[in-house]
Amino acid sequence: MILMTIIARVADGLPLAASIQEDEQSGRDLQQYQSQAKQLCRRLNAQSPDRCTLETGELNFHYLIAQGVCYLSLCEASFPKKMVFAYLEDLHNEFYDQYGRRVPSVTRPYSFIEFDTYIQKAKKTYIDSRARRNLGSINSELHDVQRIMVANIEEVLQRGEALSALDTKASNLTSTPRSTYAKVAAVAVFFITLIIYVRFWWL
Amino acid sequence: MSTAGFNSQNGTGTGQTYTNGPSQNPVSLQQLPGVSYGMTHQSTFNPMQAKASVASGPGLYSSGPYQPIPPVSSYQSVPPPSSFPALPGQPLLTSPPMGGPPSHTPPLSASPSPGPRLTSAQAMPPPPAVSTGNYYASPQQPMATAWQYNTPPLQMGPPTSMSTPPSATVANHVNPALGSTVPPPPQTSSAAYGSAPVLHSVTHPPVPGMPPTSLHGYTQPGIAPPPVNPILSHGYQPNRALYGAPPTGPPPTGPLPSMKSTPPPTGPPLANAPPPPPKADAQCGGSVNSSQLPTESDSQEGDIECPGMVAGNGLQASSNYNHVDNKTAGRPQPGSPGQHLGHYPSLPPGYQNAPSAHNATSPMHPALQSTTQPYAQTPQPYQQPPGGPGPAQLSPSLAAMSLQSSTPEALRVVNLLQERNLLPPTPIPAPMPCLPQDLQKVNCNPEVFRCTLTSIPQTQSLLNKAKMPLGLLLHPFKDLSQLPVVTSSTIVRCRSCRTYINPFVSFLDQRRWKCNLCYRVNDVPEEFMYNPVSRAYGEPHKRPEVQNATIEFIAPSEYMLRPPQPAVYLFVLDVSHNAVETGYLNVFCQSLLDNINALPGDSRTKVGFITFDSTIHFYNLQEGLSQPQMLIVSDIEDIFLPTPDSLLVNLNECKELVQDLLKNLPNLFQKTMETQSALGSALQAAFKLLSPTGGRMSVFQTQLPNLGVGALQSREDPNQRASAKDIQHLSPATDFYKKLALDCSGQQVAVDLFLLSAQYCDLASLGCISRYSAGSVYYYPSYHHQHNPAQVERFQKDLKRYLTRKIGFEAVMRIRCTKGLSIHTFHGNFFVRSTDLLSLPNVNPDAGFAVQMSIEENLDDMQVVSFQAALLYTSSKGERRIRVHTLCLPVVNSLSDIFAGADVQAITGLLACMAVDRSVTASLSDARDAMTNAAIDSLASYRQSVLTIQQPGLLAPACLRLFPLYILALLKQKAFRTGTSTRLDDRVFAMCQLKYQPLAYAMLMIHPALYRVDDLTDEGALNINERTIPQPRVLQLSVEKLNREGAFLMDTGMIMYLWVGRNCNPNFLTQVLGVPSYTAVPDNLYLLPDLDTAESQRTRAFIGWLRDQRPFSPTLHIIKDESQLKSSFMQNMIEDRTEAALSYYEFLLHLQQQISK
Repeated sequence: MILMTIIARVADGLPLAASIQEDEQSGRDLQQYQSQAKQLCRRLNAQSPDRCTLETGELNFHYLIAQGVCYLSLCEASFPKKMVFAYLEDLHNEFYDQYGRRVPSVTRPYSFIEFDTYIQKAKKTYIDSRARRNLGSINSELHDVQRIMVANIEEVLQRGEALSALDTKASNLTSTPRSTYAKVAAVAVFFITLIIYVRFWWL
Repeated sequence: MSTAGFNSQNGTGTGQTYTNGPSQNPVSLQQLPGVSYGMTHQSTFNPMQAKASVASGPGLYSSGPYQPIPPVSSYQSVPPPSSFPALPGQPLLTSPPMGGPPSHTPPLSASPSPGPRLTSAQAMPPPPAVSTGNYYASPQQPMATAWQYNTPPLQMGPPTSMSTPPSATVANHVNPALGSTVPPPPQTSSAAYGSAPVLHSVTHPPVPGMPPTSLHGYTQPGIAPPPVNPILSHGYQPNRALYGAPPTGPPPTGPLPSMKSTPPPTGPPLANAPPPPPKADAQCGGSVNSSQLPTESDSQEGDIECPGMVAGNGLQASSNYNHVDNKTAGRPQPGSPGQHLGHYPSLPPGYQNAPSAHNATSPMHPALQSTTQPYAQTPQPYQQPPGGPGPAQLSPSLAAMSLQSSTPEALRVVNLLQERNLLPPTPIPAPMPCLPQDLQKVNCNPEVFRCTLTSIPQTQSLLNKAKMPLGLLLHPFKDLSQLPVVTSSTIVRCRSCRTYINPFVSFLDQRRWKCNLCYRVNDVPEEFMYNPVSRAYGEPHKRPEVQNATIEFIAPSEYMLRPPQPAVYLFVLDVSHNAVETGYLNVFCQSLLDNINALPGDSRTKVGFITFDSTIHFYNLQEGLSQPQMLIVSDIEDIFLPTPDSLLVNLNECKELVQDLLKNLPNLFQKTMETQSALGSALQAAFKLLSPTGGRMSVFQTQLPNLGVGALQSREDPNQRASAKDIQHLSPATDFYKKLALDCSGQQVAVDLFLLSAQYCDLASLGCISRYSAGSVYYYPSYHHQHNPAQVERFQKDLKRYLTRKIGFEAVMRIRCTKGLSIHTFHGNFFVRSTDLLSLPNVNPDAGFAVQMSIEENLDDMQVVSFQAALLYTSSKGERRIRVHTLCLPVVNSLSDIFAGADVQAITGLLACMAVDRSVTASLSDARDAMTNAAIDSLASYRQSVLTIQQPGLLAPACLRLFPLYILALLKQKAFRTGTSTRLDDRVFAMCQLKYQPLAYAMLMIHPALYRVDDLTDEGALNINERTIPQPRVLQLSVEKLNREGAFLMDTGMIMYLWVGRNCNPNFLTQVLGVPSYTAVPDNLYLLPDLDTAESQRTRAFIGWLRDQRPFSPTLHIIKDESQLKSSFMQNMIEDRTEAALSYYEFLLHLQQQISK
């Protein structure tokens, strides 16, 4: 089951097209996944791996980057990976044909939302188990699907944060070496000394 | 216009001839002929039940809808300065008992939950007579009373009955070819599916995609509310037909420049003139188009050009208005004041009780005066192109504001009892706020954004003294001919209150601006420093955002919680026997076929159809089928979707199937004998179908739903239609429809209801489905394809407009105002999601809104306050847009200034909304009293606080001179009248209209316009697009204005009557109506023949021009004395006396009596 599909520009994470998720049908609240997907699109850059699978509990994100455009989909973990990537490839071919040249110039989010029509059709083809048999050919083409990198979404999303957190900690260390810690320690030492002195002053 | 009728009237008696049932007149009604009104008639006022003295009638003002106000609310806190000495012996005037649960509240059906609205309303009857007799306020009253539906939907208990698992459903699937004859009744159809047991016993094969969830969608948070910024707007589609904005840039026809020099006396047309920048000319529309070009750079260019274009057009427009001046100025010109203006004697000779108040009238001609603009010294504000002194210099220039010197025409004292000809000859313009010219120049168009008081009182106590309601009236999604659109990656907003930058902010320096709502100082972002208009850097105050009070932004992705939804249209059609009998299906299908390519949308647009009688029929339109498949679900108790994927289909891909279906649909049910209607279940099914995406549901219903959930019973007692007692059953009988509407609202589904019925349909209950889901209601009483061709024509035209007009999806609107003011009550169709966020699953260009305000903190050090309405919406092309309107008004600290700025039409509109609320929560008579008291209070307050010289008579400032007339018109309006036979549905529909229609259209409903049309001339005509539009004078609504030698056109907004007098000018009959004589005028004539004569062209041009000014084309009825419709025509003669209601003059005397107490 493919629950959500987003096509975004890698350069700035601007969403170009998407397929509306159907809450009612899946019975799931996809809001959280959607914001994750948005964050993910913003994190991706030219250095990100071309194909990747990100696990988030029972659902997986799969994405494909080609020609500066990221094709991201959210699927159930049980959904065959090669099917997903075949689907994303399919989207890429069609999308690049139709809109590829205009991708760098648009500024409005969801400028190519009309591509949704095609996404839904493609989705239907790949979900339908009967149609799947006809797609047998993809098996061979995607035999290397095993090598696709797998990572955890939290890691990916937090990687940036962790680095920046580390950065701030480091700069804190350098700029204010004696932080409140030191002050507290000094005060504590002073009081302890005082108590000891008061307690044993006659000695 | 002939003077005959009028003169003969006035010529008769020596003084007391205010006859409203003129005996000489052939048109006489049932009234007593020739009643003359002396003071002796006062005794007849009792039925009016108006205000008693405060002391004797406590609680008079207490109850009802007017209280939602927080404690501070208007009219309250200060001891009424106008308190009247208690007069004994006014038993009639005490208000009806308020305590005790109002009997009209129907039992709440089956909702164990804390019902969001009705429950509390009922549980908490309006405060018993505690209040001090104040109208609007009752501090003791918790905020809750009036608008309980403000409570968040989460509080509503889920309807328990709906939660049974769907797997238990029973269904009959039939796949008869659509072309086949009659769908078999359910019994046989189940047979078609195979094992064919008894009806309802077949368990339906589990549908794969079946939503396991029950119906109560709002227990989950809706998809939509954008947490980030609530507000939003919509897409502007330039290719749409433009409505409204009548004066759009007609080429000026021969303006006389010399006329410009005398603007002040010819005020009113001028006031018409200042269209705010947005309302521009057609020429600029082109440049707006360019902003829609795909490439970004282009679009920015387009945006940029617009303001420039406005500037260019500004001159043109103004010259156009000069022309108007010219027209009106020409007539009354210098001449001797006090003489005839046109045909109207300057002062009515009658009115025996006219005191010596002649000093009250200025030497100016009354009619002339009455038309004079309040603030004459800003006559032509739009002449300079915007771009002059920036708003940055705002505050200093305010000091120069000259209220006193403009001793406003608006404050000229008018003795209503003496001045008869109060109506200006042309439509009444909105008063102009008394602002410095540079601000007024950029202020919002009053057609879009209007305030009841164009001068805001400084304190609540001042407002209370003025006794006028404070509120805003909006028409936010109005079709505009010119609208600047801005694409920018950052939308500049105040960091604390989230106000959008607007023309009324002040720039402290180049890098900082101060919010005009919360006064926080914000930084100007780097991007904003560049001005795309002038391509200059460092001029943030020249950006389009700060040059236009109405502007639209293309929203960045932060304004979307989900990808923009496609345009989705679902049609739910009643196909029961009754419906087929009316024949509406043919018209509907044909209209949709004709307009199927004009439906707003893009390549993603989806459509679907559901029909229902006692069962629900779905239509599988999936691509690849050779013809549509009908699927019948007879288990209406637990509705499910047979094939969820293929019921809503892409319009472009399946257009042929859809067309096929539309061609066959009317025949399909030709012979049906099913009389029952399971509307509730059909709505549930439709909701399920739409809930994944959201969209618009159009429901066509022809009878009372009587099967399954949401079944209703007839509550109307025909014998009570004319009752002068309280009208019952104005509130819904069940909360089913409201709950469903809230579900719909949560899933971005709006429900529009078309009611075509001859019988009672309980619109009060059914209407809830549209009201809370931001839909609209259309009502065609007695619709029949043969017997009522006028309704058919109206239905056709309405459908065309409805199907092709612009639409915004998943919208929200928020209204902000300057710190110190607070907004507390909203009127219109929507659901209030958080305290001030209006959820509008759909927004359409014909929807109006009103809000009430109070002043919570004194506005001491402020010279101006601002209001901003922002509408965030998804256009039918999938663009997320924000439309922002900003209105700026001055703050004043004297009562006379407040009165000078009163906008009588806006006040009337707001009072009408408030009265509707009160009719529902309290009672109709209570609402009527409240309206009467509103007039009494404000005039009394004026007399006591503003007038320095006490004179006899009923004195009103010129700007409020029409107030009593409008109040009387409201009392005689279908919605509020008593004693005249009015069907309950008609009444409820009128109430819906009053709350939902934009002010301009509502005013015509309240006070229709009457013209004499048999002697149209080109004198003073408008010239629009090469067409000459004659401009006859607006006449008073009194039978005495009629004349059997003439023909008169009455425009009531939705219906126009052309009344032809018995001795009508034969020229008119032959040249316009194309008949040889009066007797040859057919009984049911709905069209003016297309004759090639000058008279016919003039008449048709005039009627066409009136029609073009509004979105829905009114029907025209040509009536004679014998016509059935004559009574409805005559009912609109509101200045006359009827059996059940006072004449205008009697009403004035009644007011005077109450005031002078």
